[in-house]
Amino acid sequence: MSAEVSLRHAFPGFVLEAQFRMDEGVTALFGPSGAGKTSVAHAIAGLLKPREGRIVIAGRTILDTGAGISIPAHARRIGYVFQDARLFPHMSVENNLRFGWRRAEEPAAVEHFSHIVELLGLAHLLSRKPAKLSGGEKGRVALGRALLASPGLLLLDEPLAALDAARKSEILPYLERLRDEARVPMLYVSHSLDEVTRLADFVVVMREGRIAASGPVFDLMSDLEFARASGVEAHGAVLEANIKEHRADGLSALAFAGGDLIVSRIAKPPGTRLRVRIRAEDIMLALEEPRAISANNVIPATIAAIRETAAHADVQLAAGDAKLVARITPASLKRLALAPGMQLFAIVKSVTVDRNTQGE
Amino acid sequence: MLTPDEAGALLLSLRVSLVAIACALPFALAAAVWLSHARFPGKTLIEGAFTLPLVLPPVVMGYLLLLAFGTRGPLGAWLLAHLGLRFAFDWKGAALASAIITFPFQFRAIRLALEAMDGGLAEAAETLGARAADRFMNLTLPLALPGIVAGAITAFAASLGEFGAIITFVSNIPGETRTLPLAIFNALQTPGGEAEAARLSALSIALALIGVALAALAQRRITRLIGR
Amino acid sequence: MRWRVLALSIALLAACAGSALAAGKVVVFAAASLTNAFQDIATAYEKKTGVRIVNSFASSSTLARQIENGAPAEIFASADTQWMDYADTRGLIDSASRKSPIGNALVLIAPASSPLGPRAIDARLDWMKLLGGGRLALGDPAHVPAGIYAKQALANLGAWDALRDHLAPAEDVRAALVYVDRAEAPLGIVYLTDARQDANVKIVGVFPESTHPPVVYPFALTKIASPAARAYFAFLTSKDAMAVFAHYGFTAQ
Repeated sequence: MSAEVSLRHAFPGFVLEAQFRMDEGVTALFGPSGAGKTSVAHAIAGLLKPREGRIVIAGRTILDTGAGISIPAHARRIGYVFQDARLFPHMSVENNLRFGWRRAEEPAAVEHFSHIVELLGLAHLLSRKPAKLSGGEKGRVALGRALLASPGLLLLDEPLAALDAARKSEILPYLERLRDEARVPMLYVSHSLDEVTRLADFVVVMREGRIAASGPVFDLMSDLEFARASGVEAHGAVLEANIKEHRADGLSALAFAGGDLIVSRIAKPPGTRLRVRIRAEDIMLALEEPRAISANNVIPATIAAIRETAAHADVQLAAGDAKLVARITPASLKRLALAPGMQLFAIVKSVTVDRNTQGE
Repeated sequence: MLTPDEAGALLLSLRVSLVAIACALPFALAAAVWLSHARFPGKTLIEGAFTLPLVLPPVVMGYLLLLAFGTRGPLGAWLLAHLGLRFAFDWKGAALASAIITFPFQFRAIRLALEAMDGGLAEAAETLGARAADRFMNLTLPLALPGIVAGAITAFAASLGEFGAIITFVSNIPGETRTLPLAIFNALQTPGGEAEAARLSALSIALALIGVALAALAQRRITRLIGR
Repeated sequence: MRWRVLALSIALLAACAGSALAAGKVVVFAAASLTNAFQDIATAYEKKTGVRIVNSFASSSTLARQIENGAPAEIFASADTQWMDYADTRGLIDSASRKSPIGNALVLIAPASSPLGPRAIDARLDWMKLLGGGRLALGDPAHVPAGIYAKQALANLGAWDALRDHLAPAEDVRAALVYVDRAEAPLGIVYLTDARQDANVKIVGVFPESTHPPVVYPFALTKIASPAARAYFAFLTSKDAMAVFAHYGFTAQ
């Protein structure tokens, strides 16, 4: 399933202009507050009618201002998960969940209801009223409600923004599960790089009403241009890996495009696919292969690009087919006389494996 | 206890007020919904017009009703010809007077309830497939219910006390238009009617207190029901 | 800001005090049927003397009750002796001042558009046929003088029992007049003077004097009457005033 979005709208003092594609999986709409992300989401959902625009989802044109087409919001079959949950206070959780389901053009099978309820851990909450739910529980019900409307596209508008760290970490695993199991394309609006790197397959970066950059998450995160375009500091690499084996010394070996990664034991069987992140600050560079050091991961790599600012230097490395980013001081850059094309070693201090796959 | 005439006045009061509130409710609801969505110049004037019965002297209201809804009045003649409805010297006239005088109570209570509604919920419902009428029936109305009920009960209690408009519009006919306030007035005017006036007044006060208490109770109950 | 509030408050207080102490203001309570005549007489007096007359018109029953409860009336003009007696027995009036200078007649009226023509009012009158299903408008027979006279007249004509369930008892005689004026009621019983005031009603019969006690209007000063009130009271029965009453159809007594 693919979606094409193209729109232009003028707000007082602000011009919105966005054009991008979405494919299967999770597309993140990333950017700082006020960048226009929610406006784009509203336009896709039909809550905002842009001055000009064309939006096609799975071959169905839901908006085309040139042709005078604008399908009303209630008929667009887009599930919208709002930042503030917006559960109907006079209905039980179950009736909230069934709200969209009852109105779907092609309602899903009965088993689908129990499947989503189980997926999101809502079974024990069904008869409660929203007032008696915690913030995290409300968020999950909002997710379930949107999903059960059998949408062709799921729009999540900063669903975790209003939650504290504990609630966020409570819901993130459910979002990951959704991504893996629900088979509905998702547009995930967020200003949190952390959420985006954890969940997104594709990232669209917005700044001041315009698209600044876009690309697959694995490429974009280690792209030095991304840092400049998105206005955030380069986060580091996001990599796909799978579990190669579990070692006798209590560590697990992961295989990725640039070789092996050794991490603490993961309680999943070999072959399990994971998403792995390595922060730029966690990579040191060495011109010679170091021996007798504590780091478990020393990866041979070639320098692909360098971006230097007054405060730091970001070095993009190619390790096999994967891209990594290391952040060092400008003094070190000068001292080691680093330049693109040089072969060296990346010493990885810490690898973040997405928490829901971490060992117990 | 109560003489048959006094009991008759009580029952008539209850009947007139019940019919008045029930008939005015859909209009108050429609007016409140219309004004909460509409944007047009002069909107404030219309809102003011809907609250006018509260400030106009009731006798003036009664006279205006006579002009408009009497058998020769523009509205009265039409209603009589097409629906066979007669208001003059009839309990229905007393009900009409009560309905119009207490309309602002219901209108304002519903308007406030609608204003307090979260517009974001309507957006959420829309994205879930609910059209306008659907959103109104399943979201707006249930959430506005405490306000609607409170407004209706308050209007009912106020309607029980309506005097000037009724006596001017439909006169003081025992069994037909002599509600409690008119019966009290009559008793007061007649020498020796003080005891009767006192009994009926006590009854009126009791009814008013019950009405106010019921309104508060119902509002609390329903608010809890809708999970606020 | 506070200065403005203070100044406004003082101005308001002064206005209230001023009106209360208004030199030469006379408060008159008069029966509804005296409305037009009393208003004309008051205007003439004000023009002549500069003394302001405040008239309050309602059913005599209502006025008597109000005076009983302390209303600041200085002159009371009732439409029947019953309510003047009521005030008298309760020591509310200066009995010595009491006089009944004018009288009235009781008439049967119909809307101007009514097909009914003038007829004699006697025991043979078929009231129900005349009403044609409608109601007879009149002052409330329980307490309004015009209604009390009407009830007595109808009783004497043997028509009361048949008519008692077909009445529209109004708050005062002028309200009854309005019902016939609006053609809401096909017939009404009011005073001759009321009927003559309204172009939209016509007189279809006059109640013979034998059918009811004479309609006389007792006037009296109340116990709180000021000298200005006494002066106006005298004017109320002066030649000029009696001319006004005659103009409206009141009879001299």
